[in-house]
Amino acid sequence: MSSTVEAADLRLTGPAVRRRGLRAAGTILGVAVLVLIASYAVFVPMLAGTDEKLTDFSSARLPPSAAHPFGTDHAGRDLFIRLASGLRVSLLIAVLCALASMGLGMLIGAVSAALGGRTDRIVMRVVDGINAVPHLLLGVVIVAMFRGSVTAIIASIALTHWTQVARIVRAEVLSLRSREYVEAAYLLGSTRREVLRRHFLPGTLAQGVVATVMLLPHAIWHESTLSFLGLGLSPDQASLGTLLKEAQSEVMLGGWWALVFPALLLLVTTLAVAACGKGLLSRTEGRQ
Amino acid sequence: MPGIEAASRPARRRRRLRQTRVIVLRRLGLGVPVAVGVSLLVFLLASISPFDPLAAYLGDRFAQTSAEQREVLSESLGLGTSWIQAWWHWVTSALSGDLGYSRVFRQPVASVISERLPWTLLVAGTGLLLAAVGSLLLAARCARRPGGLLDRITAAAATLLQGLPPFVISLGLLMVFALGLGLLPGGGLSDPGTEPTAGQVLRHMILPVTATALSQLPWLALSLRASTREALASDAVRGALLRGLSERTVVRRHVMPAALAPFIAVLGTRLPEVIVGAVLVETVFSWPGLAAAVVSSAQALDFALLAALTVLTTAAVLAGSLVADLLYVWIDPRVSADV
Amino acid sequence: MNSIAIRAEGHTVRIPSRTRRGTGWVHAATDVAFSAYRGGVHALVGESGCGKTTFASAVLGMLPPGTMAAGELDYVDASGTRTPLTAGRDGAARAAKLRGRVIGYVPQSPATYLTPVRTVGSQLGETVRELGGARNPQDLLAQVNLEAQALDAFPHELSGGMLQRAAIAFALAGGPDVLLADEPVSGLDPDLAQLTLGLLRRVADAGAAVVLITHDLQRLADSGTADEVSVMYAGRIVESGPASEVLELPSHPYSRDLLAALPANGLQAMPGTSPELTDLPPEYSYAERLAAAAEAGYAR
Repeated sequence: MSSTVEAADLRLTGPAVRRRGLRAAGTILGVAVLVLIASYAVFVPMLAGTDEKLTDFSSARLPPSAAHPFGTDHAGRDLFIRLASGLRVSLLIAVLCALASMGLGMLIGAVSAALGGRTDRIVMRVVDGINAVPHLLLGVVIVAMFRGSVTAIIASIALTHWTQVARIVRAEVLSLRSREYVEAAYLLGSTRREVLRRHFLPGTLAQGVVATVMLLPHAIWHESTLSFLGLGLSPDQASLGTLLKEAQSEVMLGGWWALVFPALLLLVTTLAVAACGKGLLSRTEGRQ
Repeated sequence: MPGIEAASRPARRRRRLRQTRVIVLRRLGLGVPVAVGVSLLVFLLASISPFDPLAAYLGDRFAQTSAEQREVLSESLGLGTSWIQAWWHWVTSALSGDLGYSRVFRQPVASVISERLPWTLLVAGTGLLLAAVGSLLLAARCARRPGGLLDRITAAAATLLQGLPPFVISLGLLMVFALGLGLLPGGGLSDPGTEPTAGQVLRHMILPVTATALSQLPWLALSLRASTREALASDAVRGALLRGLSERTVVRRHVMPAALAPFIAVLGTRLPEVIVGAVLVETVFSWPGLAAAVVSSAQALDFALLAALTVLTTAAVLAGSLVADLLYVWIDPRVSADV
Repeated sequence: MNSIAIRAEGHTVRIPSRTRRGTGWVHAATDVAFSAYRGGVHALVGESGCGKTTFASAVLGMLPPGTMAAGELDYVDASGTRTPLTAGRDGAARAAKLRGRVIGYVPQSPATYLTPVRTVGSQLGETVRELGGARNPQDLLAQVNLEAQALDAFPHELSGGMLQRAAIAFALAGGPDVLLADEPVSGLDPDLAQLTLGLLRRVADAGAAVVLITHDLQRLADSGTADEVSVMYAGRIVESGPASEVLELPSHPYSRDLLAALPANGLQAMPGTSPELTDLPPEYSYAERLAAAAEAGYAR
């Protein structure tokens, strides 16, 4: 019993499907914005020379204008340039923190999963323990004791955030362990180290990198918070956090630009990095 | 009918109590070592850092004390020769109620805590409550039209707001409402020179509470939105629709209850962020809470207060996880304590 | 003369499915003719995956978004007014208004049918209230042989068989004119199955039109519940007629093979396998399956 149904006879039975927006567009936008911000942070201070350090109290606290697109701060320094170098410092620190977390996290995560058994369980307990403490609090304690040291700032962030990288890397290694080609490799006589290098490394490296990129927004966030509380970088060193700290007093005197521009930049940078991270994540997941 | 026996109310209550006991014991077993570990860490850090507890304790008077006086003081403070001894001394005194003396506030640490904790709880608690209620209402509305305008706006706004640290949100609110519009006071418990009456406190509370709520709302809303989406696709909701129940009923009495259990569990794990938020909000608005004391003690290196607050915060976070676990078991009848 | 309640004429359903190779269309129904009359039980039988449940979804307006349809599928009320269920964008909305109140449905897998965090009683009460049903929850449960204690239980505390009977109670809560029962006795032991089928028979005798979807021909034949039987294969109705004729002297080769596969008739295996309904060519027929099976060495 057959019949042909004309395509023209077919019609919808209910509301049409909503077309989902393109995900890829988000990532591309994120990358584009990030490149823009990075250029701002790198090139503007370079091109401006040493202008940003010059204090000129006659032009203190000026609102945005053609000469000073972002206005000036309490010491007359142009904020457009100052913010650029502040952004540069924040990004640099964030990247260093991320790298430190990545190194520590990958090492501990991979080793823990590779060794397995009791060691693994102990390490996981430690990870749970570290996650139980608010990151900022631990950061505050570390930074308070080693005041003024940039290493301490980086360490405080790395020591609280490595757990995220470790978790992901450990999961990856654990899943790889049970895969057949690893067993085959062992059977064929590869030593543990060879197996580690040839089979585990590429996959875990990819996962580790993704986890680290996802960490960047947190690192930026963390550093700016510490500096805002006066526990991070010293006030005359420009960073997103110190600039926002200045903004607190500037705002009292009506200087809205001191808050708006750094805040906007912080927001945009964080979102752009997060978008890139998500794009990377969906890429690596797709590959799995 | 054997299957239904287990459904009787007293049987269920007995099971619940048993599960509660299991959860409490397990959480304590995990939590106590963590709290101990954190306190050890604080003392260890102090010993390897350039920080000198005696100098911190004496402050300006350090230069005026002689070597013998310093040694005597060291002994009495239990600073000892090793950080382990100092730690032990601290633990034993803490257990007997003496948490040390705060240099910054010039009071025993215990009274700093008892005086300032209520203010923190007031603002953080109210803010969190507002955020939770707000996210529930938003998610319920969005669930009725997935992909609709409100849904997309909520997702976008929440993602945007999430990118801002709580202190930026606080500063923004301060700028707009206190300084720009002059509508609300910019800090403290009450207007300068006046007594903190209920009215004053309420007025001064508005901005810090709003800042707290705005910092927690995005994450809660996104999380709840995700779990309502999941619930919407579930067989149970499809079943409710098949039975002919109206969309409104289905969302209110089938989707939201199903999404509630995981939401509450997640709320408990959110406590660290709430605490951090409290620290920042209190700092910006000069609110005399315990969270702001963390900053003061860190800036001035008031070791006694800092150590006490660190352990207290850790304990609070662990307590939050415990409460979340318990609530989850009590709300979702399927869950057993082994989860 | 009993009036018609569900009427399908040339009913065709194409469901979009995103596969690796792009968008394919599942031919869930092709040129289906079907009529369910009040006062009778019309069984829709066929192997799993042939489109029976999709037919029920179409009647209930629960087809996935983006589904295309052709032909007519109507609910006809006692006075003869037709409500098209698949026509245009508000087809589903029209069907939604009939759900529960006029067209009741007993789902295939009752284990996940109810919300897990609420008791059976609270959900049944809610259903009765919303649909304006005449019977109270206790009576409804009694009708399906469930103890009133079940009202206090949570869904996961009831066995599969109890849940299946509870699902029937929910379907009857609104006093519907049409009852679609999708595999209502699949998890039940013979006695309980017999009781349930008897219940469906009584519902039909009381004036409703019952559509019984099942793949269990043995039970159908043994219980003698059905008045009419339609056999569905690959989304098409290959045979339709009074139960006595179709179940004893089927005319279509597929129906014959289906019956031959019953234990009572010798348990002869079905030739080949059911086809994938995605992008099925319009000229497809059972003969193709037989030919493929013959090639593969199947012999009778």
